Amino acid sequence: MSASDYSSALGLAAAVVLLCAVVTLWRRSLGSIVRVLAVQGLALACVAMVIGIDQHDAGLMVVAVLVLAAKAIVVPTLITRVVRHDPASRETQPLVNVPASLVAAGALTFLAFAATRSVTLLVPTTAGRLIPLGLAAMLVGFFALVTRRKAVSQIVGILLVDNGVALVAFLATAGVPLIVELGASLDVMLAVVVLQVLATQLRARHGSLDLDQLTELHD
Amino acid sequence: MLVLVLALPVVCGLVSGIVPWRRATGWLGTAAASGVFVSGIVIAVHVVHGRPLGGLDGILRADALSAFMVVVIGVIAVLATWQGVRYLEAEMAAGRCTRRHASLYGVLVQGFLATMLLAVLAANLGVLWVAVEATTIVTTFLVGHRRTRSSLEASWKYLVICSVGIAMAFLGTVLVYLAALHGGGHGPHPLDWTSLVAQSRHLDPGVMRLAFALVVLGYGTKVGLAPMHSWLPDAHSQAPAPVSALMSGVLLTVAFYAILRFKVIADGALGAAFPRTLLVMVSLLSLAVAASLLLTQRDYKRMLAYHSIEHMGLIALGAAAGSPLAIAAVLLHILGHGLAKGVLFLASGEILLVEGTSEIEHVPALLSRRPVLGGIFAFGLVALLGFPPFSLFVSELNMLRAEFQVGLGWAAVAALACMAVIFGAVMSHGRHMLLGPKGTAAPAMTPALVAVPLIGGLVLCAFIGISVWPLGSLLHAAAKIVAP
Amino acid sequence: MSTVFHLTGVAVASGVQVVAIAAGGPVLVGAMRKVRCRLEGRIGPPILQPLRDIRKLFRKERIRPDQSTWIFPLAPVVLVATVAVAAAITPLVTTEPALGSSSDLFALVYLLLVGSTLLALAGMDAGTAFGGMGSSRAVTIGALAEPALLVTILALSFTAHSSNLPAIVRATLADPGSLATPQRLFALGALLIVIVAESGRLPVDNPATHLELTMIHEAMILEYAGPDLALVTVGEAMRLTLLLGIFVNLVVPWGMSTSTNVVGIAVGLVALAAKVAAVGVALAIFEVCSAKVRLFRLPELLAGAFVLALLGVVSGLVVR
Repeated sequence: MSASDYSSALGLAAAVVLLCAVVTLWRRSLGSIVRVLAVQGLALACVAMVIGIDQHDAGLMVVAVLVLAAKAIVVPTLITRVVRHDPASRETQPLVNVPASLVAAGALTFLAFAATRSVTLLVPTTAGRLIPLGLAAMLVGFFALVTRRKAVSQIVGILLVDNGVALVAFLATAGVPLIVELGASLDVMLAVVVLQVLATQLRARHGSLDLDQLTELHD
Repeated sequence: MLVLVLALPVVCGLVSGIVPWRRATGWLGTAAASGVFVSGIVIAVHVVHGRPLGGLDGILRADALSAFMVVVIGVIAVLATWQGVRYLEAEMAAGRCTRRHASLYGVLVQGFLATMLLAVLAANLGVLWVAVEATTIVTTFLVGHRRTRSSLEASWKYLVICSVGIAMAFLGTVLVYLAALHGGGHGPHPLDWTSLVAQSRHLDPGVMRLAFALVVLGYGTKVGLAPMHSWLPDAHSQAPAPVSALMSGVLLTVAFYAILRFKVIADGALGAAFPRTLLVMVSLLSLAVAASLLLTQRDYKRMLAYHSIEHMGLIALGAAAGSPLAIAAVLLHILGHGLAKGVLFLASGEILLVEGTSEIEHVPALLSRRPVLGGIFAFGLVALLGFPPFSLFVSELNMLRAEFQVGLGWAAVAALACMAVIFGAVMSHGRHMLLGPKGTAAPAMTPALVAVPLIGGLVLCAFIGISVWPLGSLLHAAAKIVAP
Repeated sequence: MSTVFHLTGVAVASGVQVVAIAAGGPVLVGAMRKVRCRLEGRIGPPILQPLRDIRKLFRKERIRPDQSTWIFPLAPVVLVATVAVAAAITPLVTTEPALGSSSDLFALVYLLLVGSTLLALAGMDAGTAFGGMGSSRAVTIGALAEPALLVTILALSFTAHSSNLPAIVRATLADPGSLATPQRLFALGALLIVIVAESGRLPVDNPATHLELTMIHEAMILEYAGPDLALVTVGEAMRLTLLLGIFVNLVVPWGMSTSTNVVGIAVGLVALAAKVAAVGVALAIFEVCSAKVRLFRLPELLAGAFVLALLGVVSGLVVR
């Protein structure tokens, strides 16, 4: 793979990951948010695949396929199942309105760039220069988690944070050792399964997944 | 040897899962925990003279610090599993729990123990992370075990906040890995803790700063340090009492153990200043949050949970000081707090069982109505507040001494001010619970099976406070690992 | 001698651009309307109908409101004049239009803004309620779209290291790979949203609406009649065609003539017509499938365009 092809493909995939994170702040319908999440998983798998092809690393390509299966197919399907039972599948008024959230996303992107200056200096390759995008995706996911009310939106926030961190892991080190990567993917999947079980139990008990109604425990 | 330590709870968990629950499986759990405790002591004896044990092809490693943590886990697990039998029987008698749920509980608790042991015995920072993430998942189910509305809410909040924290810790680990790869001179396993410590001087300081900050925020979420503490009161008050004892007594400190391991690397790469500042900020914030919120508590389990936040803040402040005396005091505090908090949570579980409510106002005059239980609760509070002869007095005193020696005197004074406020709040709440008009009913007796382990725990805490004899060399060896 | 030839050629090319935009604008509007009607299952008016409507309007009586001032008749003239000047200096048919070195994207944006501002003032000048309402809504949309547009231009200028539009187009022609970079894609996405907002098409504003309360642009020009209305219609059609032409030449610059000889200009004209027609038809199809966005959701849409452009700038700084 030629150098410029590699850098443009990698750059495109990494930028799509960040774009998907920002679009989840933009859209209101939970169904379309889950679709965007699937696209983000696909882009993440592409990043891993491109790096794997460039470094002729078969292990990384296997990991890319696993990531595709887990984050682009399984997880969105599980969440769609939860969303389908919920009649009001639109995000109720978020704590911060959409234009302000989008501007905050822009600010978080700049914050991510400032914070990872030392990292990009340490790793001056193409992949290293894209690391701030991963941290920005993680910060945007964190923001989405904090400002959303519906339980499903909070799951989406957690997944965005995970995807951002996974992007940084792929870019920074061409994948951490395989055992840790497998452990991380397994844990993410288990976490989503747990979330689904809890969401089902919550719905059975409370009749809705609006976290506004879960305010019994506070000081 | 190390594999045996891990295998004990795993096997016991499998048995609990396969066989439908009966009292014997409950006692089997206690037996497994005692086995862990005993093997912890054996490992400690082995490694205290300097040579760490390895296991499972380099994935597991036990040095003095790990051995100490195994002992802590073991002793509190014995208490918790002992009480767990009574808890499950009471729940099944009240019809709130089926046999299947009970065996699920048994499996989950053993799994919890196994993952915590994996975390403290991990040689590799990646395995450490996987183990801590696994504890999050297992405890989520345990916190929601009672399946009431509020426990489901608590377990949801717990899972969401701790998942984010774990993701941040993963990012920190990745950044450390990155620094190790580019620092030169790394071995075949760049995330191996020993080789990272050896390499720490060559690690890029900018990257390590970001990594350490992420690790403190990420694992600090699981420790319950402010500002990521909001899951703690809910989770610890809604979980079944034995689970609360395990979580508050051990899980928080296992997560702090992870921060300590990272601190050693960060000290080598950045000098002591940055880690110290970060830990001081986080600890003072935790102390302030705990102090302000303890004043208005109405639920005694939540009160105990906020008290845990205070103690975690104190531990973080001690670790910030970083001298060998401070670290030894921190480790002693971990053991003492684990014992006392564990006993208190188990006692409060018993109180909840016999009184039926967890509000402070509705359980007055415990000393007169249930003398043994009230007495245990009273002595537990006394232990936690740092009175002699309990070991928390010794450890807090030494931590403060070490902080003054190192130049963190102002932080120690602020901590003392918060502790004074907390002292007042806890005494006031305790007074409501323990003293009061006698009423007409005769004093009820607590079954010996319940009281004996709790009294035993308190006696052990006092014994360690009076003479550190069995642990002295182990504490010194462990402190030397963190503060060479 | 060659300089004189060159200058003549450039002048001819720019003249051709102006005439093409002026004549082709209404035809494009007619074509888009025809496509919409066909997709909706109707036959619809002929494609050249807008030209006939404009001719009819020019013959009608000039009517102005009593309270209006000199702004009212001035606005349509300025609108058409500014769009014509912009059409002359942007690279539509050729990559070397007249005054190419002044053809800066920022200057173009503000040139077009002069016309819109005067039109908004004229809407208020008429002294009616709907005129004022339409003007305020149109200016709000413009204000929200401005930051997005400016950041988009910044993102677009990364390839050529300059915001001079012919330079950007020439750089894209020289290096086709730069089209696949994230900064270009994000910038073009944001630009499309802003163009739709500025030219008053769905999903921002429905140009065919008859309900005054849902009008944005139509309400501004409600009081115009006769030749004034003809000029406004021509001006709006020219603006839409110009913006689509700029967009299309940033995405697919091939077909433009790089010299100024006759054959090149002819080929460039045909290519421009084809590309703009294609984009126009695509836009019309999209309009059929989408609903108008509610007025107070417009800030979300335009904030999204802004962040998209910001991501383009960020990628431009990072991906090299």
